[in-house]
Amino acid sequence: MAASLATAKKVAILKAEKLEKTYRIGKLDVPALRGVSLEVEAGEFVAIMGPSGCGKSTMLHLLGGLLTPTNGRIIIDGEDLTAASDAKRTDIRRRKIGFVFQRFNLFPTLTADGNLRLAERIHGGNGSGDPKRRREVLGLLRLEDKMHHRPLELSGGEQQRVALARAVVTQPALVLADEPTGNLDSENSAVVLNMFQELNRRFNQTIIMITHNPEAAAACSRIIQMRDGHIVQS
Amino acid sequence: MDSLVTSNIRQRPLRSAISVIGVALGVALVMLFTGLARGMSNDLQRRSSNVRGEIIFTRKGSIQMTSSSTNLSVKYAERLKQIEGVESVTPVIRYIYQSGSIGFDQVDGVEWNDYSRMNNLQIVDGRGPEKTDEVILDETKAKRNHPVGSTIKIFGDKIYHVVGIYAPESGARAKLTLASLQETLEAPDKCTYMLVKTKASIDPVTVARRIDQELPGNNVQLTRDVFTSVENAIPSLGIFLRILVGLAAIISALVVMLAMHTTITERTREIGILKAMGASRAYIVGAIEREALLISAMGLVVGFAIAGAGGFMIHKMTSLIFEYGWLWALTAAAIGLLGGAIGAFYPAMRAANLDPVAALSYE
Repeated sequence: MAASLATAKKVAILKAEKLEKTYRIGKLDVPALRGVSLEVEAGEFVAIMGPSGCGKSTMLHLLGGLLTPTNGRIIIDGEDLTAASDAKRTDIRRRKIGFVFQRFNLFPTLTADGNLRLAERIHGGNGSGDPKRRREVLGLLRLEDKMHHRPLELSGGEQQRVALARAVVTQPALVLADEPTGNLDSENSAVVLNMFQELNRRFNQTIIMITHNPEAAAACSRIIQMRDGHIVQS
Repeated sequence: MDSLVTSNIRQRPLRSAISVIGVALGVALVMLFTGLARGMSNDLQRRSSNVRGEIIFTRKGSIQMTSSSTNLSVKYAERLKQIEGVESVTPVIRYIYQSGSIGFDQVDGVEWNDYSRMNNLQIVDGRGPEKTDEVILDETKAKRNHPVGSTIKIFGDKIYHVVGIYAPESGARAKLTLASLQETLEAPDKCTYMLVKTKASIDPVTVARRIDQELPGNNVQLTRDVFTSVENAIPSLGIFLRILVGLAAIISALVVMLAMHTTITERTREIGILKAMGASRAYIVGAIEREALLISAMGLVVGFAIAGAGGFMIHKMTSLIFEYGWLWALTAAAIGLLGGAIGAFYPAMRAANLDPVAALSYE
């Protein structure tokens, strides 16, 4: 039993092989990623750190299927993101990936509940989602009494918790977080990081988080360091 | 209901209101113009159908849509009566003059007793006109503050005494004595046309042919062909209405397109979020189209309300008659909805094709 658990834990949810991304700016080719390979197992909580311009955000956008690499391959939960058409990539993103952004990116006209329902509707059609999962997520993120508030009526920390709930309520294989504590004070940062950890532990949620903050990175099970488009420490 | 579509409409009330009004104006324009054409046409036909004399004898070109001539000698009445099949003849002056409310109005000069007998007109109140400053009105005109005993201005500032009210409505709504109009127009012994009643046993077409043979060089027409509908009288009216409908559709589409285009620009970042969440192009196009359709549907309701209220108020203030038909209402609804859907399509496609990374970083 212990052996099978160990085997299960080693399933790679994400494989990135020799990823390259070059932006064309005017007549100049600007390389952002120069052959990055990465493997993340199910249930891992990975931090990607590095100085500005090192390619972290490009990496996250590639992993989330928002950009296509110039070269290389990305496999998410067994599906090849790089070989997929634009529509297929969107579909993979819908089924397997949840995003959390630095600026929360909630829909300002919708309540917290409306934001969650929208994610469920995009994910599954009618917007009813999985009530059990929803209850668990809201309980874990302590959001039950905030569901009828609009983003402007919530604090930064609360908004980011709603964004986190929106990202995980549809049970994605992978959560990609782009500087999720970048807009929060230290107290709220700690709360949000704690919730990332809780989600990781309780739901075995795989998370890849970009951060500049060493304290945030310390909350993760693995830290990847990037520099000049390369992974320099994994 | 807390969907993205309804919340966007609620949260941007000014933009939503402008879009709704844009669609509403298109719909109201179609309804008011077609309602007016239909109302005036039906009114003319109703009044024409109560003219019982089957034949109109006149000089060529004497009766036009907006003008008439008083150039026919009343002496023709005696000659017409001698033609086989003619039962009775009465001279009429149809005078069309400029009026403040609808641009022009008309008045008939008749020998009341002969005319009312021929056309089965009944006096509802008062009596028929006898003196040159007396007028009898139909019930519709009398209801507009012109009871028996009151006075009314015709030809601008000439005052006439209302001495009677008749029914049913037939021809012009105001009728003076023939002598009165002859005097006013300085046309003694003249009229515009002779209204001819044929004997029941003889086909009016046969009688008309006989009149034409006996009195060549004049115009002999069946009444039903002369007082035709407005659409038939003005052949280009149908084309005008269709052009108007097309313009209304273009206005609706452009207003919605502009509104949705602005919305897409305002919400570029939100579209980026939708894309990051895995919303397909079809989902994004669908969401924007649903919003446009909802705005258009609200525009329809407001447009119909404007048309209803506007028609009622214009009718109260003028003598214009509005009659709305289901077919034009459905056309206006289709224009509003289709205009909205087509107008939103380009912005929706633009949104669906946005680069998600660029959209997410949009300020």
